[in-house]
Amino acid sequence: MILGLLLAAPFVAYLAWLVWALVAYPIPLGYNLRSLWQRKLSSASTAAAIALVVGIFVVVLSLAQGLSVAFVSSGRPDQALVLRPNARYELNSSIERDRMRILKVHPLLEREGNAPMASAESVVVKLFTMVDGSDTNVTVRGMERMGITLRPQVHLVQGRWFRPSLSEVVVPRKMAGRFPGMELGGRLRMGGRDWAVVGTFEAGGASYESEVWADVNDVMQAFKREAYSVMLGRLEAPERVVGFGQSVEEDRRLQLEVIRETDYFKTLTKAGDPIKILGNLITLILTGAAIFAAMNTMYAAVAGRTKEIGTLRALGFRQREILASFQWESIFLCLTGGLLGSGLALFANGVQTSTTSFQTFSDVSFAFTITPGLMAQGVAFSLVMGLLGGFLPAWRASRIPLTEAMKGG
Amino acid sequence: MRWLALIWKSLLRSKRRTLLIVGSLMLSVFTVAVLQSLLTSLNSMTNNPNSSNRLAVRHKSGLTQMLPRSYEPYLRQQPEVETVCALQWFGGYYQDPRNFFANLAADETTIFQMFREEFGVSDITEAQIKDFQRDGAGCIVGEVLAKKNGWKVGDVVPLTGTIFPINPRLNIRIIYKSPRPSDENALYFHFKVLEEGVPRMKGLSGSFWVRLHRPEDIPRFVERVDRHYANSAYETLTETENAFNLGFVKMLGNIGAIIQGITLAVVVAILIVTGNTMATAIRERTTEIAVFRAMGFSSGRVLTLLLVEGMLLVAMGGMLGLLLALVAATGVRSTLGSLTPFLADFTILPDTILACLGGTLVVGLLATFIPAYAATRRPITDGLKAIG
Repeated sequence: MILGLLLAAPFVAYLAWLVWALVAYPIPLGYNLRSLWQRKLSSASTAAAIALVVGIFVVVLSLAQGLSVAFVSSGRPDQALVLRPNARYELNSSIERDRMRILKVHPLLEREGNAPMASAESVVVKLFTMVDGSDTNVTVRGMERMGITLRPQVHLVQGRWFRPSLSEVVVPRKMAGRFPGMELGGRLRMGGRDWAVVGTFEAGGASYESEVWADVNDVMQAFKREAYSVMLGRLEAPERVVGFGQSVEEDRRLQLEVIRETDYFKTLTKAGDPIKILGNLITLILTGAAIFAAMNTMYAAVAGRTKEIGTLRALGFRQREILASFQWESIFLCLTGGLLGSGLALFANGVQTSTTSFQTFSDVSFAFTITPGLMAQGVAFSLVMGLLGGFLPAWRASRIPLTEAMKGG
Repeated sequence: MRWLALIWKSLLRSKRRTLLIVGSLMLSVFTVAVLQSLLTSLNSMTNNPNSSNRLAVRHKSGLTQMLPRSYEPYLRQQPEVETVCALQWFGGYYQDPRNFFANLAADETTIFQMFREEFGVSDITEAQIKDFQRDGAGCIVGEVLAKKNGWKVGDVVPLTGTIFPINPRLNIRIIYKSPRPSDENALYFHFKVLEEGVPRMKGLSGSFWVRLHRPEDIPRFVERVDRHYANSAYETLTETENAFNLGFVKMLGNIGAIIQGITLAVVVAILIVTGNTMATAIRERTTEIAVFRAMGFSSGRVLTLLLVEGMLLVAMGGMLGLLLALVAATGVRSTLGSLTPFLADFTILPDTILACLGGTLVVGLLATFIPAYAATRRPITDGLKAIG
């Protein structure tokens, strides 16, 4: 962090000086911008190359962001997930019926009327065939009615919630178009019986939008499960989770593990890490390539105008004024590319895609979202390219000896 | 060939420009080569040449559902079948949960016949196999995995179960060598450990691996098995081992499309940048080119010289990029390769190298052609008058 600040400090100072120069030395700047226009083809091709790199940058950023949204925005700090020790993920966990009975009447659980705010759940993975004919794993979550209350981020869009013993399911609205039968009034085949889709829901981008929900007993019967997977429970306050955890872990009858719901979701986000790291590496390397290209264009621009620079110097412009204006020329060139690239990235906006979380072993769908924030990052990125790519050529321009420049052909 | 010196001189005319463009190309080609190799590495998971007559039988509903072990005799009785092996993913870890490797419970009697290529069975003695089969807590380990953890034959490996609530302590009986390093990042132990340790696993297995005598029998066999168990309490899904693995690769999502998209964008960017550089280089030499032509060089010859120059330029960048990628691949294998099974075999294949090199040459040709062609079409008198 401190190292980053130290590195950034001269950078920011230089940028501040450039902004000041923008106001102070207007004449050579106008000249530089016009000369960009003079070399239309060369400027345009450099800007286009930078646009492509910035486009990739923004799309990769949005991919990383889409992945984090799909996992993170779930969970409450005052809720806890109970799992079998070492299971780490819901899918791996199992809690026998007798343990669940003890667990559900735990005195620390919050109550709604007489009922404890806890949901015994069964999580299974079922292979579904998608519209395009390929198969993918989908999480099927059997839960008690309280499970819906415990997830306030989830709300119904169409229809109603499932009722017990009737083989009814609700499905995420986002999955509706991708799987045949996954729509209000549709039917699904799971565990040897037909299930009626009685509702669709939304969860604000949370990972629940990749799950099919049904009654816990129905799911356990259909999938021949004798044990539950997990229990989700709410406590009176976030601080109570620790005490609840200690009491459950120490209870010899239970021997189970407690994780705060928000922490659990944090571990799930790790699924996106490899893609993020790879994406960052790609952009880093391509940035290097783009900076070289920008440098090349600027060097050519400077070399072709030795005489003009000499004239400017002879007219009385100082070296630092030349430095600033050539630096601005390169920044403008790259900014044009940056704006173009951010615009280009908009084509990826809204594209639905999916990947599989190897932790939960099931399909996670998310959309590329190109937000104004990401586009701004792309433009800022091009600014950095302009600074780095233009500095050496601009420096050179300002250092050309006056006499040589006047002679220069 | 005798023009090479001339072309080389032209490239060195502006050393800085050549250096910058070669650097730019190098980084771009490096990116493309690594990305494409990543893709081939993923795809190679799904075309193991040794698995052509192996099939996986599992529950139709998905990987987490179990099949009864009583299916085994029926499978074994089929005339096409050479051997059947019950396999169950254990998903345990050794010391650190992040330390991923495949560990499975397997039928110890048939596993060597099933995976004889992967285990390099010809290098394993009969005595070793007997040793493993007699020890109920015995296990076999791939060499890559053993090296990473410093295991030797005779060591005890404590595994912590994640899917199953047992933490078996296993004795290493065999360390096997495999033709593909990715197959060596695995551990197999007796099925009984699971069956006896986990009550709910009694008489069940997640999958059965089946080896047929001849690959031609696959379609008939698949159809018969799945029909036999259709509408039973435990319906089956039978597919080839490669198809089974493909399912996992597909789970990563549209990685292929993303990689191809980035590759396309990079290639277009290279095209533009190279074109721009060559255009500048040629513009600088307008007079020179005119002099050449006045001296009697045909425009075809001048065009060829310029095109070769452009191609030489990109070839330098491309080769450096590929060299960098080859160096990086060794690094990836030794670091990331042990963490994720996908990257254990990560190499830049000759095919990828050729494709990248060919691609860059075509790009160089295309990028140089337009400015070079324009230069040779220009009237000589114009060129001679032009002030460089």
